[in-house]
Amino acid sequence: MNQGETSRRRFLVAAITYSGLLSTGAGVTLLRASNTWADSSNGNSDELTRMARLLYPHDGIADNVYAEVIDSILSGAATDASMTNMLNQAVTALNAAQNGDWFEASENDQIAAMRAVEHEAFFAAILGNVQARFYNHPKVWELIKYPGSSVQFGGHVDRGFDDIDWLPEDA
Amino acid sequence: MANRYELSDSSVVVVIGSGAGGGTVSNELAHKGIDVVCLEAGSRMQLSDIVNNPGAMHFKMSWLDKRLGAPTWLCKTVGGTTVRWSGITPRFQEHEFQPLSTYGKLDDTTAIDWPITLDELAPYYDKAEDRMGVSGTHGIPPSAETNEYKVLKAGAKKIGYKEYTSTRAAINPVARDGRPGCRQIGFCWSGCAIGAKWSTLYSEIPKAEATDHFELRTNAMVVKINHDDSGKMTGVVYADANGDLHEQKARAVCVAGNVVETTRLLQNSSTSMFPDGLGNSSGHLGRNYMRHMTKSTLAIMPGAVNFHRGTRQSGLILDEQYHKPERGFAGGYLIETAAMEPLMTAQTVGGWGERTADYLENYTNLAATWVSGEDPPQASNRITFHETERDQYGLPVPILNYEFHPNSHAMYEHAAMGSKKLLESLDGRNVTSVMGGGGGCHNMGVARMSADPRDGVTNRWGQSHDIANLFVSDGSVFVSSGAANPTLTIVALAIRQADHIAERMSRKEL
Repeated sequence: MNQGETSRRRFLVAAITYSGLLSTGAGVTLLRASNTWADSSNGNSDELTRMARLLYPHDGIADNVYAEVIDSILSGAATDASMTNMLNQAVTALNAAQNGDWFEASENDQIAAMRAVEHEAFFAAILGNVQARFYNHPKVWELIKYPGSSVQFGGHVDRGFDDIDWLPEDA
Repeated sequence: MANRYELSDSSVVVVIGSGAGGGTVSNELAHKGIDVVCLEAGSRMQLSDIVNNPGAMHFKMSWLDKRLGAPTWLCKTVGGTTVRWSGITPRFQEHEFQPLSTYGKLDDTTAIDWPITLDELAPYYDKAEDRMGVSGTHGIPPSAETNEYKVLKAGAKKIGYKEYTSTRAAINPVARDGRPGCRQIGFCWSGCAIGAKWSTLYSEIPKAEATDHFELRTNAMVVKINHDDSGKMTGVVYADANGDLHEQKARAVCVAGNVVETTRLLQNSSTSMFPDGLGNSSGHLGRNYMRHMTKSTLAIMPGAVNFHRGTRQSGLILDEQYHKPERGFAGGYLIETAAMEPLMTAQTVGGWGERTADYLENYTNLAATWVSGEDPPQASNRITFHETERDQYGLPVPILNYEFHPNSHAMYEHAAMGSKKLLESLDGRNVTSVMGGGGGCHNMGVARMSADPRDGVTNRWGQSHDIANLFVSDGSVFVSSGAANPTLTIVALAIRQADHIAERMSRKEL
């Protein structure tokens, strides 16, 4: 792949994620909308939860947060055949790469299997959905010290918007 | 609610769109005593509707109708994309009005010079800066220096840049013109919840309403412009919130729907007299679509920046805006800050796994630059329409065909290297850049001005070469993209166009 193609590809990826941000950006409000996925007997939630952690591995985040993200995606997929299909495709592909049992493989093997399918459409769709929900999750914001909405506190004008203290003196 | 103006009233100027171009031209005309009906496809938010939640605001204000191809980041709401914009308002430089003369003919481009010069536009830039309350102009102080701007400035000094500034933002540093001073809320891209950032939503539109010469009709999606046997525009057909069609008669029509809708409306109004779309005898309608060369760069800094505190874009470096062909590309670029929420940070860093997670773990220490650079016009970068697919209005689904020119790739490499150097000079690490980041917020060029009617769609006033009472009042008239964020220039051109329309009317030429 030449330079131009690489850049073009990155542009397209960026473009997709920017619009993806927006189409799935209401992640927080969608969380735990329902538990219908459990009733629809989707057997992939363990694999997908594991996949979510490997996508965005944060030691300070408990498994239940990743599970919540996947619950939300599965619940949306209950009425979205194309998403259901992509979730199934992902698990099938990961299992196929690890003798039928990706979930029990070592972490390195699990990651290698994911790298092998990261250019597939289903992978991008799952990544976008996990990303939008995960990085809008209150527990994640707490971990990374992002406070969210500020207007109710009068913004940051009196709360450190210009308090940087480590820049070189001469700068 | 009854209309202020009768549908049959053919004395009104109909303005399509209420954003930077449409909101401005409406207000200027109304202040001259000219009756205006502004048709806006979206609905009208109050400040209380604006919350610090990008996802929620996306569904309240984005243009979500189906489009294919390169994504845009535009709004369908009163105020248009001035509700979402960053507020950065640099002027074009003199040479950016003469790209062909300055850069020469680049391969595979369709460059021409603007039919106007900086000197001609300068008085209107002055007016636009006053209307919008641009920091550092008209006695307005510079914008406060946010943490992220301080990083940008310190890095600029370290690597030898000379021109950096926290001026040129249309965000009130202090209360002015009925709007409060900035509270450093952040979330500018979700709409300013206090109205400190200029937007036609709470500036031009209410001012126009106060004149008694203006009516805003919301949820009014224009689908067609009609003409008479002489080829003169006579009325504008729009769908109301129920999908019922109405025709508002018109003396003149100003189209300001942003590039995609402006192109689609003129195309969709084709008749046997105008078989390729209204005002398209040149064949340039929908072509020469420009978006700027954009680039985002992020780095993990050695100490806390907390770039979420304060305006999204809080200052800029001008040193690279000039045309210096020794850099290996034509035109220049502006370096700006661009603070992001966690989700957009993850998207900009891209990828997945430890590296991406490490970035987010260091969220408090992140700093970013964003670049807006000249994008040469190409005939193949254009808005086309799906042959069979129709949207909810029965209009053909737009397709945005867009590829970066090799000049933009060369500019990207230069800009990415420069931002890396800047951030690393302050011991930033893991510097990562992405081309096209944030692309689709700046849209220009599909109905460009030209001196020769064969080269463009509109003349030096944004008036159709083919149809005297048809005007284009948005960024579609740009001949080149320059490096500057486009809104200030859109507003300056709209003020100038309103003067021209009023003058032509007083001479009974319209």
